[in-house]
Amino acid sequence: MQDNQQAYDRGMTIFSPDGRLYQVEYAREAIKRGTASVGVRTDDGVVLVADRQVRSPLLEADSIEKLHRVDDHVAVASAGHVADARQLVEFARTQAQRHRLRYDEPIDVETLAKEVTDYIQRYTQSGGVRPFGVALVIAGVDPDGTPRVFETDPSGTPYEWTATAVGGDHTALMGYLEEHYRDDLDLDGGIALALAALAETHDDDSLDADSLEVTTVDVESHTVRSLDADDISPHLAELNLEDDDE
Amino acid sequence: MSDFTDPITGADAVGDPTAPEIGVSGELGAHRLDTQTPDRDDAAVNKTGTTTVGIATEDGVVVATDRRASLGGRFVSNKSVQKVEQIHPTAVMTLVGSVGGAQSFIRSLRAEADLYEVRHGEAMSIHALSTLAGNFARGGPWFAINPIIAGTDENGSHVYSVDPAGGVMADDYTVTGSGMQLAYGTIEGEYDHGMSLGAARDLAVRAVAAASERDTGSGNGVVVATVTDEDVSIEEFDETDAALAV
Repeated sequence: MQDNQQAYDRGMTIFSPDGRLYQVEYAREAIKRGTASVGVRTDDGVVLVADRQVRSPLLEADSIEKLHRVDDHVAVASAGHVADARQLVEFARTQAQRHRLRYDEPIDVETLAKEVTDYIQRYTQSGGVRPFGVALVIAGVDPDGTPRVFETDPSGTPYEWTATAVGGDHTALMGYLEEHYRDDLDLDGGIALALAALAETHDDDSLDADSLEVTTVDVESHTVRSLDADDISPHLAELNLEDDDE
Repeated sequence: MSDFTDPITGADAVGDPTAPEIGVSGELGAHRLDTQTPDRDDAAVNKTGTTTVGIATEDGVVVATDRRASLGGRFVSNKSVQKVEQIHPTAVMTLVGSVGGAQSFIRSLRAEADLYEVRHGEAMSIHALSTLAGNFARGGPWFAINPIIAGTDENGSHVYSVDPAGGVMADDYTVTGSGMQLAYGTIEGEYDHGMSLGAARDLAVRAVAAASERDTGSGNGVVVATVTDEDVSIEEFDETDAALAV
């Protein structure tokens, strides 16, 4: 058949003769089109940083949400289809609360990440649905105080990282993180690493606090803390990454 | 029912926090009251009657129960029932109320504890286990059960009572079953915070012995379960005196 490939890349997720799931691979392409999010694990907690694309000065920057609080002790960063991400975030929130209802304890990050990836996986094996076009970084502090960072993939595979990036410029970001990650980072060091990595991917090597989202979960409080632009600026100033135009 | 459905089965993808995951059909939960319908001949339902005692100490917990099953407390239908079973690496549960209900409850809780342990990589806390038991008692298909859950975890030794409506209460010591007032009378005034596991064991056995003397639903010897950080041991005695330290 001439258009052999078409039979495997339309509609249902089914294997191609060489064992690939084209729909899942296309979903990964969708993720690459999104702006990047970075997650870093440190001994003092976890850091999530997202780069948001404010495509018009008329757009309220805060309406672009790429970091989401899931529970007191867990946050999620996304890259790819925002609408798909919102569904998974809502699923994660519901699972986190179900765990509290069922066991009267906070869910640990690994269990939550696997609940989400198991759900994602179901969308690669069902007729009439498409995979989720989003990658998540699920970061938080376990009830016993251990910081954890997980990534979800459209295939439904969970990965655990010390530091990772999802979305556009993935190769450059991972290269930077691999080169500069140290396992003795403190929380501010984690924020600095994530910001510096993102800055590398910008043409002018600078970042604008208004187009960034930064969220931490520290091991002391087990609580998600979102930094606003005023909190982010000093970090940028320290790294000499501030946009000179301002 | 949550907003999330499994794309393959169409079932709720989040799951009912009050229902067992496997073993009992969800339908039963909805007909909880029907399980007590008059067509089930109440006089033929084996009840434990029972005195079950749990005492927590620094070094572990001890649980003592009688061994009698009866029909309405008027006829002894079995003289060697083991009314305390291990349900977790370091926890036991007592059978109190309807024998069938309690046995089914134990099987389900054991399955849940095992699933939790393999999924989370560590055993449930006793608080989580008791919360789950309370959820099942309240929302599940079981009725007429009133167990004690006793065990140890990283936070120490714990004794919980679970009532038929799902009430879960932690205590230093607790008694359930038809002989509870006699057993409590023995324990009150004798229990002290610093008592050793051996002294607690003697006290628990004497409490069951006192109840066996006067409560028609309790008798036929004693079963003693001891739970420490390391393991669970369960011993049966035809005579209560034989279970006392010499």
